[in-house]
Amino acid sequence: MSRLEKKQPARCTDLPLKNADICSKLKILKQLLKSCYGPTGRLKQIHNNIGGQVVTTSTSVVLLPTLSSTEPFINLIRTSIINHISRFSDCGLFAGILCLSLIEEAQLSSLRKDVCQKVNKYLLGLCTSYLQQEDCACKVKVDFNSSHCLIRLAHGVISSKPACVLRESEILHITRLIVQGFLLTVPCDKPGAVKLGRIVTLAVEGLPVMDSTIFPGLLLETPDLSLHLTGLLNCGQLRTIIFTASLAGDLSELGEGTIVVHKGMDVEVQILDQLLKIGEKVVKDEVKLFMCQKVIHPVLQQYLRYHGIVVIERLGINLLEPVIQLTGAQPVATLHSIPPRAYGKVKEITIRQFGSKIMLHLVPTEETAICTLILCHRNETMLNELKVACEKAQHVLRLTLRDQFAVYGAGCSETHLAAYIRYKVNFKASKTIDLDTATMFGCMQTEYVLAAEGFCRSLESVTAALDHNGGSSLIDLTHAHHWTLPTDMTTDEMDRTLGLCRCGVVQYCKDYKWSFLNTKYTEFSPAAVSGEADVLDSFTAKVNGLQVAVETANLALDVQYIIQDTN
Amino acid sequence: MRQHVGLQTLSALSGITTQFLGPTKTYKIIQDDATGESALVSSCYRVLENLELTCAVGQLVYETVGAHHRIYKTGSGCLLFMAGAWSRVALECLHRGIPIAHIISAMSEGMDICLSVCKLCSIPNKELYSTPKAQPNESIVKDSASHQLSSNKNQRKLKLSRHFQQPNCENISMIPNLNSENQNLTAIARTLSHGYSEAMDLVIKASQIQSEKDLTFDIDKISTCLLPCSAEIWNCVLPGCIVPVCPEKALIARNLEKQDLKVALIDGHLTSTYRHLGYNKPKRLQHVSEVSSSDNHEEEWLERIVRLILNLEVNLLLISGIADGKLKDHFWKHNILVVEKMKLSVLKTFAMSTGAILVSYATQLNSKCIGTGVTVNIWKDLSNFANKSNHESFLNLSTIEKGGLVTVVLSSWIQGKLQSEEDAFLACAYRLHWALKDKSLLPGAGVTEMYCIHQLQKQALLYASGHKSVPPINPGTAAGPYTGVVLQLMADGFIDFVMNVMVNTGKYSKVQARTVVVEQLHGLDGSVNSAKMDQMRLKDHQMDSHYGESMICDNLTLKQEAWRKALDLVFLILQTDAEIITGVDQKQLEQRDLIIL
Repeated sequence: MSRLEKKQPARCTDLPLKNADICSKLKILKQLLKSCYGPTGRLKQIHNNIGGQVVTTSTSVVLLPTLSSTEPFINLIRTSIINHISRFSDCGLFAGILCLSLIEEAQLSSLRKDVCQKVNKYLLGLCTSYLQQEDCACKVKVDFNSSHCLIRLAHGVISSKPACVLRESEILHITRLIVQGFLLTVPCDKPGAVKLGRIVTLAVEGLPVMDSTIFPGLLLETPDLSLHLTGLLNCGQLRTIIFTASLAGDLSELGEGTIVVHKGMDVEVQILDQLLKIGEKVVKDEVKLFMCQKVIHPVLQQYLRYHGIVVIERLGINLLEPVIQLTGAQPVATLHSIPPRAYGKVKEITIRQFGSKIMLHLVPTEETAICTLILCHRNETMLNELKVACEKAQHVLRLTLRDQFAVYGAGCSETHLAAYIRYKVNFKASKTIDLDTATMFGCMQTEYVLAAEGFCRSLESVTAALDHNGGSSLIDLTHAHHWTLPTDMTTDEMDRTLGLCRCGVVQYCKDYKWSFLNTKYTEFSPAAVSGEADVLDSFTAKVNGLQVAVETANLALDVQYIIQDTN
Repeated sequence: MRQHVGLQTLSALSGITTQFLGPTKTYKIIQDDATGESALVSSCYRVLENLELTCAVGQLVYETVGAHHRIYKTGSGCLLFMAGAWSRVALECLHRGIPIAHIISAMSEGMDICLSVCKLCSIPNKELYSTPKAQPNESIVKDSASHQLSSNKNQRKLKLSRHFQQPNCENISMIPNLNSENQNLTAIARTLSHGYSEAMDLVIKASQIQSEKDLTFDIDKISTCLLPCSAEIWNCVLPGCIVPVCPEKALIARNLEKQDLKVALIDGHLTSTYRHLGYNKPKRLQHVSEVSSSDNHEEEWLERIVRLILNLEVNLLLISGIADGKLKDHFWKHNILVVEKMKLSVLKTFAMSTGAILVSYATQLNSKCIGTGVTVNIWKDLSNFANKSNHESFLNLSTIEKGGLVTVVLSSWIQGKLQSEEDAFLACAYRLHWALKDKSLLPGAGVTEMYCIHQLQKQALLYASGHKSVPPINPGTAAGPYTGVVLQLMADGFIDFVMNVMVNTGKYSKVQARTVVVEQLHGLDGSVNSAKMDQMRLKDHQMDSHYGESMICDNLTLKQEAWRKALDLVFLILQTDAEIITGVDQKQLEQRDLIIL
């Protein structure tokens, strides 16, 4: 029986940014994201209060999806950042903090929202065009002739995840594996369209991190090898076949509709006969490795094993693509015929053991771009975070194939950009005619400078969020890089304590002038510096993060009403 | 920040483990007021298992301890205690205003020191049984030059073993006459009994049944059988496995006794309707027929299976699932024994040792799938006992060939104690397993910890004396100005541990324990004061004169992993500044002081 219920009226919130509740929630979110940022960021324990698993993390990928709010306004910002992460993996917290800072700055200033929006948009353009310039002083070209850049990029990602609880030596080990894996997945000397390979990650709990390793080829977990695998197979080329159709012997894949059969007929026997015909065929064709994405009927398995064929069932959809790439087989989706070109090959099959896991190692016949990363860690919590961090690092390395650049990390490019914009804005303001800014932004020049200052402060506040131990952040007034002065040091001891800037590219020099972060300094054009940086960030992810942050902030500033359907 | 709730919770939680450290275990009863149910527990892991820990730290602790227990079956108490001790270290550091990053790097360095101590004082298994066991060699003890930490031979002499219950001499005589080869494994096992000498006897017996070769022990092929409501004298070790059966089956078994049986193994149910995992039964299948005939499908199936089994001359069917009732009647008539609900791992072991092939359907069976060399005998007939269940007899299924399955029968009048008995057995079995895997052991009874304390304090002193250029143990970790303080505090954590173990033996008060520890530490300073050590030993002999003097060892990997996991816990919690609770309803929000996003 259906029941009609009176519809509740929709709830409407006027000017969300004037709403105290929403403002306090924005503040909490900002604090939360800031506290997670960087290598010394604080961790968050996420759990569901009814005894579910506890996740300990500081990664935006894990954190943001759990932070769903009762307030649509908060969710709007959150979703926008999540979209960025899903495309670029990195710089999620950066985008979040910057976006929320921009909103806060706009609120604090007495400027009209549309002025803030226009200035933000204009400065974003200034930043992106500067970053795209050939002579941009806060980016470096990724040199594929050496592994240095790649290692620093991956290192930056892994080391900024404290919940992995890694030592420096362990970070280096993992970083090397990821770079190695990245290089393995880029095929070389292949004519035609280049198809990137894949790193399949297998997590093994309970082993030391240093046991983590990478193999070319694929490792498949198999439940009970001891019973079925008689000997190692390494006789050159092993003919391989892959089925995507279920070989369970049922009719589950026939879809909708009713099947009508004669009483005397046994459907199961018929299908099993069909399956055994497949078995006969592959035995005749001298197949040595038989794989199926789904279940294989025990009778067929027994038949195949009896004929010395290695059988792997339940591959799953995730492993299907890598297995196809590795073997060169064409997956078979029917039970009726096997076309000759369906067969692929592997070079050998060996058994490897990691902790309690026994795995089959499929070695490709030629160089294929598939490899398997075995990640080991002492406990599940840390292993989960490490897995996420490694995926992120792999993605960051892949992005270098798109834009062959990296930006200085550890907050140096943000301070640099802020200095660059300050210089540009004031340079413009002093040289060009007032009318110009007025027509562009519909405001007075002082208002324009004020809004720009808010933008720069927001950038710098991201850098400041890196420090969680009470040290003070400095910038040098030559290159505008980011430096940290430990808590118990005074400015007199700078020459002793400051060796390199945070990203490691600028060396301390007596002649430098200094300014604390977020204090006023006279504008200057930040000079370029050459040298190898220790900390690098993804160029692509950062540029996009910057855009997402500014555009989301502008969108948020634009919201007049929130209308919520409460039914 | 100076009031870190997470660390305080961890410290408080670790309190439950203090009673369980050391060889003298006390039982605890956990009662659920809501249901009136209670549980008898004697290990840290079982306490956590029986508690409903809803807080995030509690969950994390349970997860970590659970993971440790899965692999090692012992040492969770040590893990949790050290986690508690080091969480207090972290709290103290926060209190003194040391930044978190410094605490972490200093504690990591402390851990490196401890791990290198383990490396230095580990005893290769070989050395353990090649030298006459634990007879103090005065000439070595007095040679002060050999008292350096790097000298393996002497560490074994510096032990606190007298505080602990020694393996009972009586038990040793119970073991059937061993050849000298077998002594090796026994010697190792004895040092690891940690107060459970009866359980360790069972482990040794199990290893002897498994293989005549020494130093092999296959933990995967050992299963336990718990016998409630019977006297503990029934504890024993048998080759093969023990299965409870009903009287009818016992009758068939009696007929089959002392025969070399043909066996078939089936993973699944033996019914006409059973289908393998992953098979989807057709939903829309319609049968049409001209004549309405009764469904004789099942009859056909029955007949077919019986014929097949008879043709194959199978006497014994082991099934992981259940068998059709009618089919069982047929088999009964033909004197074929069907044992249901077998563990899959047991079936696999039988497959390995009999040459049988495990199949899913009886129809798959052919002559190549049949194994041979299995015997069955009635191990125990409990029909005299007023047993409510119809499983009144226990069969012992074993293979003629050695090296297969071993079952350890554990019994107790008190049902609640059975779990603890099994835990004790498994703890001993896994200790031996890991000792053989590691190929070396650590000096036990707190000696390793004492060396750690000593090294930590030594390094702390170096830092404190203002050596700016103290070479850190691991060059990767930067030594901050606070490292000395943190190392000293970490050493205090170990002192707490050793003291607790001593107090738990019931022979020391807290004050006495501290005195002994401090004295011993003085002894370790530079060269060991052998006179003092001897004095201690003498005093001890008077106390434990009825115990045989033997050595006590700990597992190397196990201890290192427990420490590492404890420190990981502390690090994770130390760096955490907020909890995010998902899916909280409005009511809970009002009750608790939460910030809603």
